[in-house]
Amino acid sequence: MSFDGYKDKIEEGDTVILYLTITQVYCIKAEPKTLNKKGNLIENVFQTPYGALKCAELIGKYYGSKISLSKGWGYVLQPTPELWTITLPHRTQIIYTPDMSMIILQLELCPGSIVVESGTGSGSLSHGLIRAIKPHGHLYTFDFHKTRAETAQEEFKDHGLANYVTVTHRDVCENGFGDDLDNKANAVFLDLPHPWLAIPHSLKSLKQTGGRLCSFSPCIEQVQKSCLMLLKLGFQEIQTMEVLQTQYAVQQRSLPVVNLDFLKSEKDGTETEKKDREMIKTITAIPPPTQPGHTGYLTFATLPPIWARNLQISLNQDDINDAD
Amino acid sequence: MEDTESETTINVGDFLVVQRQGYTKLHKLRKHGNMVLGSFTVEMDNIVGERYSDTFQMKNMPGSKRFYILEKVDEVNSAAGCVSIEKSGADNRHIPNNADSQGLTKEDIDKLKGEELSSNNIVEQLINNSKTFNMKTEYSQEKYIKKKEKKYFEYIQIRKPSIRLLSQMFYRQDPTKTLGIRTDDLSQILSYANIHSEGNHLLYDSGTSGLMTAAITNAVGPRTTGSLIHMHPGNECQKNGFVAMQFPQEQADRCINVNLYSVLRCFYQNKGDYSGKSETVSESDANVDADNGEPSAKRTKVEGGASQKKQWQLDNERACKLLEGKVDSLVVVSKEHPVSIVKELMQFLRGGRGFVVFNSLKEPLQDLYVYLKGRVDIVSIRLSSNFMRAYQVLPDRTHPEVNMNAGVTF
Ligand SMILES: C[S@@+](CC[C@H](N)C(=O)[O-])C[C@H]1O[C@@H](n2cnc3c(N)ncnc32)[C@H](O)[C@@H]1O
Repeated sequence: MSFDGYKDKIEEGDTVILYLTITQVYCIKAEPKTLNKKGNLIENVFQTPYGALKCAELIGKYYGSKISLSKGWGYVLQPTPELWTITLPHRTQIIYTPDMSMIILQLELCPGSIVVESGTGSGSLSHGLIRAIKPHGHLYTFDFHKTRAETAQEEFKDHGLANYVTVTHRDVCENGFGDDLDNKANAVFLDLPHPWLAIPHSLKSLKQTGGRLCSFSPCIEQVQKSCLMLLKLGFQEIQTMEVLQTQYAVQQRSLPVVNLDFLKSEKDGTETEKKDREMIKTITAIPPPTQPGHTGYLTFATLPPIWARNLQISLNQDDINDAD
Repeated sequence: MEDTESETTINVGDFLVVQRQGYTKLHKLRKHGNMVLGSFTVEMDNIVGERYSDTFQMKNMPGSKRFYILEKVDEVNSAAGCVSIEKSGADNRHIPNNADSQGLTKEDIDKLKGEELSSNNIVEQLINNSKTFNMKTEYSQEKYIKKKEKKYFEYIQIRKPSIRLLSQMFYRQDPTKTLGIRTDDLSQILSYANIHSEGNHLLYDSGTSGLMTAAITNAVGPRTTGSLIHMHPGNECQKNGFVAMQFPQEQADRCINVNLYSVLRCFYQNKGDYSGKSETVSESDANVDADNGEPSAKRTKVEGGASQKKQWQLDNERACKLLEGKVDSLVVVSKEHPVSIVKELMQFLRGGRGFVVFNSLKEPLQDLYVYLKGRVDIVSIRLSSNFMRAYQVLPDRTHPEVNMNAGVTF
């Protein structure tokens, strides 16, 4: 229940982020007991590289505080969508913060927006979308994988976000987003292998006053098909981009100074004396030797309001099949 | 979020984003006002009462050469699709290297513009009078048409401002307008600082044309509990982007603009009693907290009285009350070196909350990194969260150096 609203103290059942180092960040549940593989209730202990942590001990601690482990220490933090994204259990490929941020800004989301998303996947993006639109907005998210949809639903409930989101198990390319959502959405987000098949359905869900659409695809071939479909259906401002982030390592380096002045005067015997070498300190930021160079292409488009749509829009099935 | 008539209708007094092909411009609509768009002066009256996202054609004003009026259109004829090309060359070997390949003079073109502005027409004339057009390859013919069309394009679209449009527009016009913050930077600042509808957010901004305040206020949203304290170094803060968004009053009121020095003086010197020393303060004023709506300024105004305080004093007091209760996020976007600012403002941040510092230079942020890292050595619970914050600082200044736009060709 720790995703909805700022909290000061950890309560039982909270999902808590355990921060050890920049590369060792974990999510744990502040619960005294947990089920083991055999389904028996056992004490909830989390093994860290710095020793075991009894999760029951977290309850009542302040978020942001330091906790001792047998071989070191860590910090407990309240989860944000950013921290969740780097710690969540992967069930699929997920969307990371740089892409997520761009999606939220480009979809022009704000509290109160109605958003349609498919597929739900591991719910990484969903958490970011929910933060952007609550308290009076709503996210409708769809996945055709039954367990993924159910697990996501559980997770949202567990995180205290159930009021802001509806999870539906459905194939959106086949069956769309449902008549209930006709002309309801401010924005649609697609992360599917065949996004162009869901674009005509998205058009149906977007408001009469227009809206924004985003499709995330790893391959340029998918992008091409999607753009064609968007163009055909009268979407405007079709733009494709990539967002990449580089993380630098800041380091303080001390470099020795080579003193050559003594060469100008004759030897007087002192140069053989052991002197402390002069050092100069410098701060530098080093980019990583390798980094992910590509996550996916983000394609954005605007659906103009009904009065400014100048193309005849056909939802004819034949038309749709033409595109692939 | 229902889109009411009034929200979709273009009214006098509105801020509009005027879009002409790739070009965008922010314009405040006045009664009988004109707008200068490239080489055109356009009378804007005809768009009043029409709806956002409508497209208009620039037409010559009868009896005047330089002025254009706008006429609503339902269809746009793009030259690229209309101009018929008779002949293309296989490559450019026959194209002479001189500028004289165009038969039309500047005067001829001006005359064409004066008769009836139609990019199709002009482009067609240009092609007919070009000695080399038919020698060009199909590809460069297309490029030529696109280029010329852009110059004489007669259609404009009127858009409602959004953070996306504003941020792209400012950055394209001049990146220094937003201290170098690009759309991707902006989006990540908002994420990493966890800006959303709840909580009190603190921003130091030494001049982003109001983009930062607009973006945060937008993310805080209408009819929510969140608020923003915006500290700036000058007498007046930059507001362009903020006013362009035309937030409802209740939402705009939750962005409190205060001068950095004056609010901190108020904080330190009137500690615990921000209502001022000599003035008598009404009950309601003392009880107001920014979360429950009506700002103190309004209430005191209603009550009147001789001891009327200046708006900025009231704003300082409101801000100080919030600061005393601590804030949930901190964003520092500065021209100045960030360390001293962060050092000072950090005290207002609640434990365990994230903050983001943006600077267009890497070096000041390296210094900041070292400073923040150093604070960890003072081992105590309160400071420990700085460590985590330092780590949240890390991603923010590692914004993408290149934001590639992958072109899609068919
Ligand atoms: C890459 S994942 C989405 C990840 C998600 N954006 C995140 O950040 O966690 C793609 C999901 O789409 C679902 N999917 C694929 N085709 C679908 C369809 N036609 N209808 C509904 N869901 C579909 C898959 O089951 C998978 O879970």
